[in-house]
Amino acid sequence: MEDKVVLKKMGRRKKLRERIRENPKWQKASTVILPLIFGIILVGLWQGQVLHRLFHTDTFTLPLLDKIGSIMADNKEKLLENTFSTLQVSLMGLVIGSILGYLMALLASFFPKFGQGGLAVIGAFASIPVVAMAPVFNNWTKDISRDASFRSMISKTIVVMLICAADMGLNAYKGLTNLKPYALDLMAIYASSRKKIFFKLRLPNSIPYVFSALKVSVPASIMTAIVSEYFAEYITGVGRQIRENIVLAQYSTAWAYIATACLIGIFAYAILMILQSIFLKRYH
Amino acid sequence: MSEERNIEIKTRQLGVTFKDNEGKDVAALTGVNLEIYKGEFITLLGPSGCGKTTLLRCIADLQKPSEGDVHIQGMTPKEVRLQKKFGFVFQQPVLFDWRTVKKNVELPMEIMGYSKGERSDRAMEMLEMVGLKDFANHYPNQLSGGMQQRANIARAFGLDPDILLMDEPFSALDEFTKEKLHEDLVRIWKATNKTILFVTHNIQEGVFLSDRVCVLSPHPGRLSAIVDIDIERPRPVEVKESTHFNELVTKVRNSFEGGSV
Amino acid sequence: MREKMLNIGNKKWFSAVFWILLLLIIWEISAIVVANTKRIPENILPHLYQIIMAAFSGEKVSGELSASQAVLTSAGQTLLRGFLGFILGGVIGFVFALLMKMSNLLGKMLFPYLMLIQLIPVLGLAPIILSITGDINVSRVVIAAILSFYPVATNTLYGFKSVEKEKYDLMYIYAAKKHEIYQKVLIPAAMPYFFIGLKIAAPMAVTASILVDTLQGDGGLGCLLSQSLKHAMSIYTFWLIVFFSAFIGIIISKIIGLIETAVSPWKRRP
Repeated sequence: MEDKVVLKKMGRRKKLRERIRENPKWQKASTVILPLIFGIILVGLWQGQVLHRLFHTDTFTLPLLDKIGSIMADNKEKLLENTFSTLQVSLMGLVIGSILGYLMALLASFFPKFGQGGLAVIGAFASIPVVAMAPVFNNWTKDISRDASFRSMISKTIVVMLICAADMGLNAYKGLTNLKPYALDLMAIYASSRKKIFFKLRLPNSIPYVFSALKVSVPASIMTAIVSEYFAEYITGVGRQIRENIVLAQYSTAWAYIATACLIGIFAYAILMILQSIFLKRYH
Repeated sequence: MSEERNIEIKTRQLGVTFKDNEGKDVAALTGVNLEIYKGEFITLLGPSGCGKTTLLRCIADLQKPSEGDVHIQGMTPKEVRLQKKFGFVFQQPVLFDWRTVKKNVELPMEIMGYSKGERSDRAMEMLEMVGLKDFANHYPNQLSGGMQQRANIARAFGLDPDILLMDEPFSALDEFTKEKLHEDLVRIWKATNKTILFVTHNIQEGVFLSDRVCVLSPHPGRLSAIVDIDIERPRPVEVKESTHFNELVTKVRNSFEGGSV
Repeated sequence: MREKMLNIGNKKWFSAVFWILLLLIIWEISAIVVANTKRIPENILPHLYQIIMAAFSGEKVSGELSASQAVLTSAGQTLLRGFLGFILGGVIGFVFALLMKMSNLLGKMLFPYLMLIQLIPVLGLAPIILSITGDINVSRVVIAAILSFYPVATNTLYGFKSVEKEKYDLMYIYAAKKHEIYQKVLIPAAMPYFFIGLKIAAPMAVTASILVDTLQGDGGLGCLLSQSLKHAMSIYTFWLIVFFSAFIGIIISKIIGLIETAVSPWKRRP
């Protein structure tokens, strides 16, 4: 009996490192701690100008972080104004585009013969570069308003909308049609109507796919908004400010806007993740 | 049967404890003492949560025991695994989409370092054995569930392993396919003289296939009885209707502890 | 005969053709409306035949070059850079995903930053990349590479993570070596995801290479685009560029799809 206890203890000690590694709490914490460590190292290298030596650049092109921070603080209002403009475009485009995309997927799932081909065409839209679309919509919206800021906003929103619609359409179609085997049979046994099949089966089945579409289109909507700002008539938005400041060689200001763009992205992505964890709880 | 009874696998006071979500210890398996003879067809039978799969995984070195130990041919499971003496059939046919059926069967042989010709010949032999010869160049997604499971079995036999571990391999199949595969499995087992450990929750299946049935009971998972199945081989399907068969089924059922199952 | 018609109707390509025709008809009707209501209709929506005619007209728009010649010569430079960047980004993306899979520490450490990369407006990094590389053409390639890198890396990594536990268990029981697991299980399993990444990356690389042309005005599709937008040359040049880059984007994604089916025969339906 005593032998056994000793054996057990030795086993425990040996496995201490393994045990820590396999501990679920450490597992969870490490996904935060490790990136944090990397972030701190990165900040250190940046602030200590090691990055500058590495990349053969200077603090003029790659300003120190505290400089970027102080510029951001000094230009808070202008920054917020441009952030609002970019967010407005990307959010509106995202929402309208995603809804449109989902509706298209619905139509395609009701009429699969013609729907699939339609989705193939929409998929082709997703591979059209943004640079090819932005100027076209700029031209198209020239007459809708006398207010340049308004018509620019509309044209930018259309581009974002198209990108998001293509993304959502393709994914939602998969979700509406990729049902688990037997699921349709089960519904047939219960003699469910098409309406019921839709609400009980297809709709819930498509939710995870909606989120995988959003995971691509949330960052894409911001990037697309930024790129279409480059072509817009009216000078506004975070992306446009980056470009304007680079042209004027005001790199620290440009960096302040780059940082802002990153923050918008992180923020939007974090919100999406929270929404996803709420909505997809039932699916696990 | 009983003249040479070489012990192939031996577990001594085997126990496995898991941590649940709240970090509490949960005993999945306690104090299992089991001796499995060479060339034996043995079934681990029990309801879910009885630790039968855990026991199988301990023997396969997929799970480290918390206490006690496992000896296989006088070696640890790890040593046996590294000598590639195990074949394993999962509940789901774990086939590789990008490989043809034949290439799937060849996979373990590739790892073993068989020559190309040897691999190909042996794979075809195995596929013929399970009746999939004509589907050798198909891809898994072109096969039905039953055919996929056959391919899976062909792969497990392909290496000519000493010990074949099967984790509820037929539970997802329909009754007709299952009966056919039972027949095939027993035939292949007889022809190759492997030791087979078969996990199932189906009493009839366990009784029909095995030399002995190990009954495991849940909470905590433990070995509560071993029932000898003394039905003559070969066993035709009609055996299932005999009184003796049904007596054995009842005997197994009554061996469960902790309430009726 | 009727059956035959129905049969055609069932084909996927047929409905695609139907939709394309529908789009063309809508375009033409709108073009007629625009032509009757707007002062300079070709700025907004020219007829398709006008664009096609512009493509084949020999009229000089830029020095000695006709519109098509101008577009094609600039496109040559731009797309070459985009293509190089795309290949570079694709390869690095794949290797990076592999490294992140191989090292648990590296994977965990870098994963959030991988998500972050896509949120950086890469064009903003152009001056820094220029100062690092010291050559505008190299930095254009690098920018296209960075943009292609992200979708390839995340999708490939996702592919690695999609491998089921049973497959690892199986390889474990056969005592497969680490390189065998990568070679025989992980890498083939990640291939479809890798191709998805490439398909997403392709139009981004085209966009990036056109955009970075405008950083320094020395030729390329981007410069031609901004010149034609400023009406420095015929507006049809602009339309040609639009259609050409859309065409390139679609063609590349089709080519990637073809390569994918060629290397993955199990994806072909029986």
